[in-house]
Amino acid sequence: MPMNEKRCVITGLGLVCAIGNDTDECFESAINGRTGIADVKSFDTSNCYSHKGAEVSKTNEELAKGRYDRTTALGIKAAGEALSDAGIDPESGEASEIGVLLGSCIAGAACVEKYYNAKVNGGKGDIDDLKSMPASVIAGNVADYYKAGGITANIVNACAAGTLSVAMAIDLIRGGKGEIFLAGGCDSFSSLAYAGFHALRALAPSDCSPFNHSDGITLGEGAGILVVESYEHAVKRGAKIYCDVLGSGVSSDAYHITAPRPDGEGQMSVITRAVKNSGLKFTDIDYVNAHGTGTAKNDESEFLSLSTVFKDNKDLSVSSTKSMTGHCLGAAGAIEAVLTVKALKEGKLPPTTGYSEEDLGVLAEKSGDINFIANKPVEKEIKYAMSNSFAFGGNNASIVFAKDPNLLNLTCPKQDLYVTGVGIVSGEYDEEKKSYIAKLDSDTFKAYGVKSAFLRKLDRLSQLQLLSGLKALEDAGVTVTPENESIIGICIGTNDGPMTEIANFQKNIIRDGIDKGSAFAFPNTVYNAAGGYLSIATGIKGYNVTIANGFQSGLQSVCAASGAIMFGYESIMLASGTDECTDIDEEIYSDLGFSGEGGMTLGEGSVTCVIEKDSSASGRGAKRYAKIAGFSSARDTTGDRNNNWRLSEEALTKAISNVLKEGSIEASDVKCIYGFGNGVSELDNFEMDVYKKIFGDNIEVKLVKKDFGEARAASSSLQFAMLAKDIFEGKCENGIAVSYGTSSLYSAVLLTKA
Amino acid sequence: MNKEIADKIKGMLVERLRIPEEDLEYDSELFGEDIGLDSIDSIEIIVGIENLFGVDISGAGATREDFRSIETLTAFVEAHKED
Repeated sequence: MPMNEKRCVITGLGLVCAIGNDTDECFESAINGRTGIADVKSFDTSNCYSHKGAEVSKTNEELAKGRYDRTTALGIKAAGEALSDAGIDPESGEASEIGVLLGSCIAGAACVEKYYNAKVNGGKGDIDDLKSMPASVIAGNVADYYKAGGITANIVNACAAGTLSVAMAIDLIRGGKGEIFLAGGCDSFSSLAYAGFHALRALAPSDCSPFNHSDGITLGEGAGILVVESYEHAVKRGAKIYCDVLGSGVSSDAYHITAPRPDGEGQMSVITRAVKNSGLKFTDIDYVNAHGTGTAKNDESEFLSLSTVFKDNKDLSVSSTKSMTGHCLGAAGAIEAVLTVKALKEGKLPPTTGYSEEDLGVLAEKSGDINFIANKPVEKEIKYAMSNSFAFGGNNASIVFAKDPNLLNLTCPKQDLYVTGVGIVSGEYDEEKKSYIAKLDSDTFKAYGVKSAFLRKLDRLSQLQLLSGLKALEDAGVTVTPENESIIGICIGTNDGPMTEIANFQKNIIRDGIDKGSAFAFPNTVYNAAGGYLSIATGIKGYNVTIANGFQSGLQSVCAASGAIMFGYESIMLASGTDECTDIDEEIYSDLGFSGEGGMTLGEGSVTCVIEKDSSASGRGAKRYAKIAGFSSARDTTGDRNNNWRLSEEALTKAISNVLKEGSIEASDVKCIYGFGNGVSELDNFEMDVYKKIFGDNIEVKLVKKDFGEARAASSSLQFAMLAKDIFEGKCENGIAVSYGTSSLYSAVLLTKA
Repeated sequence: MNKEIADKIKGMLVERLRIPEEDLEYDSELFGEDIGLDSIDSIEIIVGIENLFGVDISGAGATREDFRSIETLTAFVEAHKED
C-alpha cells in the first residue's frame, strides 16, 4: 500500500468548555442549544463595553493535579478523557508511544498576568508562573502528565491552531513519524485576549450571534483533544473507531494581520485543498462546522466562501457552535472537531443559537440552498463532515472527517527534498547588553521593497523573521508570482515567540485597565504574527504554521515543512527558526537563573532555509546546498517529569539513531555534528558524552552558539543552515544538526551531498 | 493651530503607532500615501487622544476629515476639549 494512502482514524475524544465538563455533556448541550455564555467572572469588566464570556466553572485544581497554568490544566483535563475514551491507561505505560500536538493562541496568559501583576506592583514574581508562561511548555507538560513518550509540538497559529494540530497529526502518521497522537488545542480565558479584542472593538456587546447579527465575538475557554491513530495501530490494539480523518488543508490569505480577505479567496482555497486532499467532491460534504465567530468581517467573507465553493451542493448543513462555546481561540478548532466527530457519529447536527423569529426569516432569505442550522438541531445521517478555522495572520485550516474511509487523493510520490536557499540574520556581541544583538535598519528593508508604513506594524520578532525570509527567497532565486504563490508555504519555529509584546501588552493593561488595551499592539501578541507578516509581505499563500517548542523548534520546522511538501500542495517551504533578545527576554532568562555567571549568553536572530522537492528544484534549475536524508524528533519520560529542562541520553540517542536509519548511514560514516552546546557546562558535557558514545572520540562537533549566543530556535535553524553551507562548500560530505527542546524533546536532521 | 496639543498628538502617534518621527509633519496625510495608517490605527488614535485630553473623538462625532492630519485632529480636540 502506498504510504500516502495510510488511513488515520479517531479513537478517543476529550472535551471541556463552558457547555460541559466532558464530551457527552458538551455534545448534549450543543444539540439542545444550551449556551455557556454568561457574565465574566475571571476579572472585572465593569469599565468595558462588553461583559460576556464562556468560562469553565472548574478550578485549575479540579482540572489537573499539580500546579499548572490554566491553559495546560484544561489540556490535561481533556487529554485524560481522550485517553480513557480510547481505552488507554497511562498508569500501565500504555501511553509511552503517544505523541502530543496541541494548539494554543494565548498560551500561559493566566500566568503572564500573575507574574507581571507582581512585577508591576513592585514584587518579584513567582518563578513557577514564569516557567508556565510560554507556549513551548504546554504539550510537554500534558505529555509528561500522562507519561506520553511520543513527540510533542505546540502549534501556535492563533484561532486556527486546534485544527492545524489535527492536520499535522495525520501528516506525521502518514510520514511514518508516529502511530498515535493526542491532537487538539487548549486556551484559557484571559485578561490579555479580552483586552485585545475589546481594543479592536471586536467583542459582541451581548452574546455572540454568528451569521446573524454579527456584531462581534464572545470569548470562551476550554480544550478539545482527539486521539488520532493509524488504522493499523487502532485495529491491532482493538480500539473503538469513531471515524476516519481524511485530508486537510492549510493556507494563507497574504492579506491582513487581523482581518480575513473580504473576497474569501484564502478560505475558499483551504476548503478546496481539504476536499481534494480527501479525495472528495464539493457535493460530498454533508456538514460544515464553520469558523463562524460572529464578527461582521468573518461572517460576511465566510458566508460568501461557503456559498461560492458549495454552490452545487444542494444538501449541505452549516452551523457555528461558537454561539454556545464562545470563541476558545487556539482550542476552538479542536473543540469544534470533537463536536463534529460526535455529530457525524450520532447523526445529530448542532445548531447556531440566538436567532429570533425575525432573524430566522432574514436567515432563510439569504441562505439559498445551504441549510444554516439555527436554534434547533437537525437529525440526519451524514457521511462526510468538515471543520474550518480561520485565524489572525490570515491562517486558514480545514479538516475532513468521514464515516467511511475514502481513497485519498494524495498522488504525490515520495520525493527527495533539498535545501535550495538560506537566509541568515544573526546577532553581534553587544558589550553593554552582554548579548548578541542583530542589526535591523529600515534601509535594509527598503532595499527589499518593504514600505515603512508596513514595517512600523511589525514587532522585533516579526522584523527578524521577515528579513531572513526575504534573504532566503532571494538566495534561492524564488520570486513569488500568481503562478507559484499557492505552492509555497511557511513553517516557523520559535521558543519565546512574541513574549516581549505579550509582556508589554499585559503590563499596560495592569497599569491602565482592561478597557485601555492597545489595538495596535494586540495583533503582535499572537505567536503566528511573524508568519502572517511574512506571508503578507511576500504574497506566499500556501501552508503556514508556527511551532513553539523549545530551542529545537528551528529543526522541528524542517520536519513540519517536509510533511507539508509530502502530503500537501507545496513544492517549496520556508523553514525558519526565530527568537529575539529584548530587555524582556533578558529579564526572563535572568529571573529563571539561566543567564549570567556560568549561564548562557543570549543571542537573537532568524534563519530561514528554503526546502524544496526534487521536481521543483530541477524544474527551475535551483542551486542545491544539500539533501535532507533524514529527520527525526524523539523524547522520553524518565527522570523528573516536573522539570521541563531535564536531559535525556535515551531521547537524544534515539533521535540520532532514527536519522541514521532513515538515511541508511552508519554512525562511523558521519563527518560532522552541528551541536546545541551553549556554554552551560552541564549541558555541554552531557551532549559531548552522548556523541562520543555514538560516534567515537574523533567526531567533529561544531557549535554556533559560541559565536552568536543562545538564540534558541534561531540557533537550531542556524546549525542546520551552516551544515547545509558546509556541505555545499565541500567542507564535509554529510552531517547532522541536533538540538533539544522542553520536556526531553530532541530533534536531529541528517544532510548529505546534493 | 495649538502647537502644544499638536505636539502631544505627534508624540502619541510616534509612541503608540511607531511612526518614525522624521516622517511626521503636522500636515502629513495620516491615512493616505504619506503615512499609510489603517482602521486598527484609527482605533488606537481614538484611545490615545482620550487618554491625553479626555476627549472621546469618536463619540463627539469626528469624521474621516478630522482624522486627516495632526492639524485636523488638533483642531477637533481644541474644539471639544473641556478646560
